[in-house]
Amino acid sequence: MGKTSKAIFFPFILLAWLCSSTILFGQTTQIRGFVDAGVSVQKDKVSFGINEQDLFITSQLNDRFSFLGETVFKFTAGTPTNFSVSVERIVIKFNFAGNHNLLVGKHHTPVNYWNDTYHHGRVFFPTIFRPLLFDVNIIPLHTVGVSFRAQNLGNLKFGYDLMVGNGIGSTEVADNNKGKSITAAVHIKPVAGLRLGISWYSDVIAKGSVTHDNTLLKEQVKQNLFSGSATYFGKKFEFLAEGTLGYNKTDSLGARQTIASYVYAGYKIKEKVVPYVRLDQTHFQAGEMFYHNNNTTYYIGGIRYNINYLTAVKIEYQYQHAAIEGYGNKVSAQLAIGF
Amino acid sequence: MTGQSFRISAYGKYLSLVLLLSGGFFANAQDIPLTVVSNTKGAPSAMKMSELKSVLKGEKQRWSDGTKVHIALMKTTTPVGQGACQKIYNMSGDKVKRFWLELSFAGNADAPIFCNTVEELESFVSQNPGAIGIMDRASTSADTKTTEIDGKKFF
Repeated sequence: MGKTSKAIFFPFILLAWLCSSTILFGQTTQIRGFVDAGVSVQKDKVSFGINEQDLFITSQLNDRFSFLGETVFKFTAGTPTNFSVSVERIVIKFNFAGNHNLLVGKHHTPVNYWNDTYHHGRVFFPTIFRPLLFDVNIIPLHTVGVSFRAQNLGNLKFGYDLMVGNGIGSTEVADNNKGKSITAAVHIKPVAGLRLGISWYSDVIAKGSVTHDNTLLKEQVKQNLFSGSATYFGKKFEFLAEGTLGYNKTDSLGARQTIASYVYAGYKIKEKVVPYVRLDQTHFQAGEMFYHNNNTTYYIGGIRYNINYLTAVKIEYQYQHAAIEGYGNKVSAQLAIGF
Repeated sequence: MTGQSFRISAYGKYLSLVLLLSGGFFANAQDIPLTVVSNTKGAPSAMKMSELKSVLKGEKQRWSDGTKVHIALMKTTTPVGQGACQKIYNMSGDKVKRFWLELSFAGNADAPIFCNTVEELESFVSQNPGAIGIMDRASTSADTKTTEIDGKKFF
């Protein structure tokens, strides 16, 4: 067989090997959903609201390939129905050896614990809302691309993620520049309940890109994000601290530094009842042009009651101070379910 | 004995009986001897308890021979399922279900098969190479084996 013939047949041989994975129990597909509703009191006004409806599909295609999809239906002003459909994740996973996997599709960028763990299922959130660093788009929430991922390696339960994808400003179907975003993350789980992780995200964001804040970039931005997280969820005590140090560099202004972090702590006073506190903070260096420069601090105190594993009620008080908006506070309650 | 005191006494006895029976049930659920049944392909014949816990928490995707790990558990409402929740996960049944939902939701593991009966679990394990499950009796299927834990057939 000549080299040309080998080259022609190689993809078929590879495909045959991939498909030869024994189909054991047929394709198994599960569909789950999550939704939440709430009420908040702010500036003497009571508002009721529904949040995202999250449909979640997993499917084991054979013993090597699996699929994960997450689609959100949410309120979006200005659309004909005031609702929109958002594909949050489409991940095709190929388990090529042991605990090592190749993932292709639209992922939650694995820059920190929260983004990699909780996603859109509010019933899993330890608090009602996501941390501030999500709200002000410090980190890229999604990346379309390819990644290598492994977990629970060795005694320290080491894990890694290496992802290459379309960067900020691109769409789900095409990148808007030649540069690719790179995410590299590692973590360990040395004892039960404890997880320590660090990550690096790098991207060159093209001039003319539209950021998550719908800001049109007037010049190219070279972005580097360094994140760290420490997580402990034990029998009684819960602790979650994450921080991101961001560098955005432009030709005209040079590098600007941003620090965003939050600390969450909860204590189970009963099996299903967890009072908690959270402190969020963002600090932008003067001249920052990629992020919305608005130094903000949140102080949050609340209580969570897990009625069962698919139903949780949370009541929360939030006091905030922002450089632009000034002081404010609100009380919120949320009922989150899974189905 | 007056009618009222008789009723109180009868209720008291009834309540005691209910408490005794329910206490016995929960005690049984936690103390019931469990055994590990595995398909003849995949899982080893002997493991440490720490290894078993790691496997049943979804931390291992493949056995050393390359076979994919499939986990079969009894439903958490059954005595065997409750026993597994306590002995393997050290959690309540609800917590175990949440644990698996979080893992699969994050895309980090494939959720186990939760079976209604031991026969169903045994059938799943026997038909699927790499499958491992927890039962309360030794398997009788030719396609399965008992995996000893810390040198014992029951734990």
